[in-house]
Amino acid sequence: MSDLGKKLASIAFDELGADYLLAMREEHGNVAPVMLARGQDPGEIRLDVPYQLVNILSNIYPWLKDGKVAVVTRRCDEKALEEFFKRELFDPRRILKIGLACSKEQVAKCRCSDPVPAKTHIGEPQKAMEKDELSEKLMAMPPEERLRFWAYQFKKCNKCFACTLTCPVCFCDECILEEKTFVPEPGIPPGMSFHLIRAYHLADKCIECGECERSCPAEIPLLTLRKLLAKDVKEIFGFAPGDRKTVSPLLTVLEEGCNEC
Amino acid sequence: MSVEHVLTTCPYCGTGCYFFLQVVDGRLVGVVPCKTDEISLGRLCIKGYNAHAFVQHPDRLKHPMIRIDGELKPVSWDDALGRFAEELRRIREKHGPDSIAILASAKCTNEDNYLFQKLARAVVGTNNVDHCARLCHASTVTGLLYSFGSGAMTNTVPEFEKADCILVTGSNTLEAHPLIGSRILRALDRGAKVIVIDPRDTPLSRLATIKLNQISGTDIAWINGMIKLIIDEGLYDEDFVNARTEAFEELKEAVKGYNLAKVESITGIPGQMLAEAARVYAKSKKAMVAYAMGVTQHSNGTDLVKALANLSMVTGHIGKESTGLNPLRGQCNVQGACDAGGLPNLFPGYQRVDDKSARAKFEAAWGVRLPEKPGLTLTCAIEEAAAGKLKAMVVFGENVMLSDPDLNHVEEALKKLELLVVADIFPTETIKFAHIVLPAACYAEKDGTFTSTDRAIRVLRKAVDPPGEALPDWQIACDIGRRLGSKGFEFSSSAQIMDEMASVTPIYAGIDHARADNTVLRWPCPAKDHPGTRILHTQKFTKGLGTFAPVHHSPPAEETSEDYPLILTTGRNLFQYHTGTMTRRSPKLEREAPEPYAEVNRADAKRLGVSDGERVMVSSRRGSIALKARVTERIIQGSIFIPFHYAEAAANRLTNAALDPDSKIPEFKVCAVRLEKA
Repeated sequence: MSDLGKKLASIAFDELGADYLLAMREEHGNVAPVMLARGQDPGEIRLDVPYQLVNILSNIYPWLKDGKVAVVTRRCDEKALEEFFKRELFDPRRILKIGLACSKEQVAKCRCSDPVPAKTHIGEPQKAMEKDELSEKLMAMPPEERLRFWAYQFKKCNKCFACTLTCPVCFCDECILEEKTFVPEPGIPPGMSFHLIRAYHLADKCIECGECERSCPAEIPLLTLRKLLAKDVKEIFGFAPGDRKTVSPLLTVLEEGCNEC
Repeated sequence: MSVEHVLTTCPYCGTGCYFFLQVVDGRLVGVVPCKTDEISLGRLCIKGYNAHAFVQHPDRLKHPMIRIDGELKPVSWDDALGRFAEELRRIREKHGPDSIAILASAKCTNEDNYLFQKLARAVVGTNNVDHCARLCHASTVTGLLYSFGSGAMTNTVPEFEKADCILVTGSNTLEAHPLIGSRILRALDRGAKVIVIDPRDTPLSRLATIKLNQISGTDIAWINGMIKLIIDEGLYDEDFVNARTEAFEELKEAVKGYNLAKVESITGIPGQMLAEAARVYAKSKKAMVAYAMGVTQHSNGTDLVKALANLSMVTGHIGKESTGLNPLRGQCNVQGACDAGGLPNLFPGYQRVDDKSARAKFEAAWGVRLPEKPGLTLTCAIEEAAAGKLKAMVVFGENVMLSDPDLNHVEEALKKLELLVVADIFPTETIKFAHIVLPAACYAEKDGTFTSTDRAIRVLRKAVDPPGEALPDWQIACDIGRRLGSKGFEFSSSAQIMDEMASVTPIYAGIDHARADNTVLRWPCPAKDHPGTRILHTQKFTKGLGTFAPVHHSPPAEETSEDYPLILTTGRNLFQYHTGTMTRRSPKLEREAPEPYAEVNRADAKRLGVSDGERVMVSSRRGSIALKARVTERIIQGSIFIPFHYAEAAANRLTNAALDPDSKIPEFKVCAVRLEKA
């Protein structure tokens, strides 16, 4: 058992009283997500590869009948969990957090403005990045040129749905992107509406973990798209996702007697 | 409660992406990409993300079956295999070993395939063993063996992104090999020049630096045209040609007549644009060629492959980092099925069956006399069955009743067989004609290895149990081998089979499961301490000097006529895979492309009075199918495209079984058809 594995197991099972631990470890020359039960050897734990564990957990959660799961959580994972709790998709009593402060390199890759978890168990907290260079470059462009940039990027899309499948805050049971009315074009690329609908759908949920961008085979700078929209939502509505106590300003409550819909 | 993430290999195209199968208490719940995998880089296509969806589908074959009074009835393994062995023995005694053919499978592991060919050669006593590589890259194997001495990708998948120029022809890379397409996109974003030459507009051609549309079946003309221009303008690599190749004078002579004007008249590609493409390719420091079925599936496919080899050699664009000629293999283990000897003229590792010393080696290893006459190819086996000469066919995981050309003829052939045994995972179109059906384990239910398109050994790890009584193919092969009295089938794991294969296959000599488990090994890997080979032909070609082949344009086997005025070309789309056995049972994939269609050029549609979405009838000299028209600019005028995935409108009812004389690959990419309102 490695030192990191020992430390992690001790936090999860002794300190937090979890029944399971969700982390990553080295297997077959690669790094794999791993769910360990109390007492199992954690092996060569590796926390330097940015698997989106909350998304991985959301796949497994419906099958977990009982027990508490300790999850290695970066700051963005914490915020994702808040969105789950807000919608009562996870029972907060069953999810325990092991705070992981991201490395300087990871913070830079994510252009992350909020990298430090509420409680850091592992890692050294790093300074936030205040700006995303591509965002600034794009906003300095004339609108036509910016449109050309995104049109080219979206033309590379091969409709793998990684951006939704790997997204921790894509919650809908029925995905609007699979609805022919909204994404009518047969084949690929799916057209700009695909990406814009998705961007708007996540406007009040995206916690900027960057997993969509990392998973995109076409390397469309999706995190920049998210950051640009998040900035607008913050400026216009004074709202940022990732806190279970706040309500999205985009949720409209209809007056009684409204026959509009 | 058990939750596992099992690292395994994608069962679709030949790129060889690793991913994790998520298993909760024996139930497959999802796919997670592997972020540290050097091939996929933690990315997948839509098929990869849905590769769990069909595995536990209720339609899976769960019990062996025997046809009794016209109907398939479940029986025990003992009864099914007992009957199988008895029938095989009877037919061999009555009609001789060459009346039996075994089809190996590009969907099965290296270990499975090694046993299939051993079963044919060492037990039945025939070289009649082949598989669907005959339908995809047979001409690559024959063509590149002639030119270079090795018929595989010369480079690796990751190298694409570092190339300065990538010439893609006859490959719809983003749809058919999405994660190789993604490397090409990375190259494009870096500023590399991407040239796409294809009769269709593809998602990649729409992003390409240079996009040219040729008339189907005219490729040798544009390749020879490029070579002539490159020689004439002094852009060829004289040092390379002198030091590394032979027969350059013959090549020069052969391409003499291919001036731009003549090439334009044959191919429809504007001369100046072709010249520009030739210059960009020749002048680039690191240039890759990628090609697939659009090159190989022609009745002159072998010549076409040789023409591309000429182009790479004349420019010296071969044998270096991010520089080479790369056939993209389309099935998860089509490379491995060829490597393991699932071919009628070759033992494992491309050792010839008609070579006395190779045969002596295998005779010593297997302890039996082996037949020296090369066997029947898949396409010729169908012919022989139709003629009543082939009596038995054993099919491991292939769906010939949808994948082969001229299906009406295939159907007649299958009906004539005295014995058709099919081992598969789902009830396929082929099973309708089977006498014995054996339920097989799929990729997620067994251990073993695939060899990806870039010669990398990829490991399969068992994630879940097979349904019902289904068994891994290698276990089925072992059982039948033992029942036929052979002693060479005493294996208790797939790792042991690889050990035997490595001992008789020099290019795999250094490969075993323990090494492949945590390292990416690419063949040739001749010793246990050898790291494997990323780039082929670096110092010299496998055969010594590379050979230029003087090849000429010739028209396709079937040309358009008044009655059949359009050219039909067939292929894949992104969402479905081959005969749809797996993808059509995966809801998210089926949702994206649920029905057959014919892509028709807007001008042709207008002339024929056909509108988008309208039902049309497409007929060739061999059959007719009804399907929807998809009116588009994405195909050139005079041609139509139909994907071959759909049984309800099977494109292969129309296709021509005209064969390339060297490789016996059928001409799937050109046949003459008529389109009319249904």
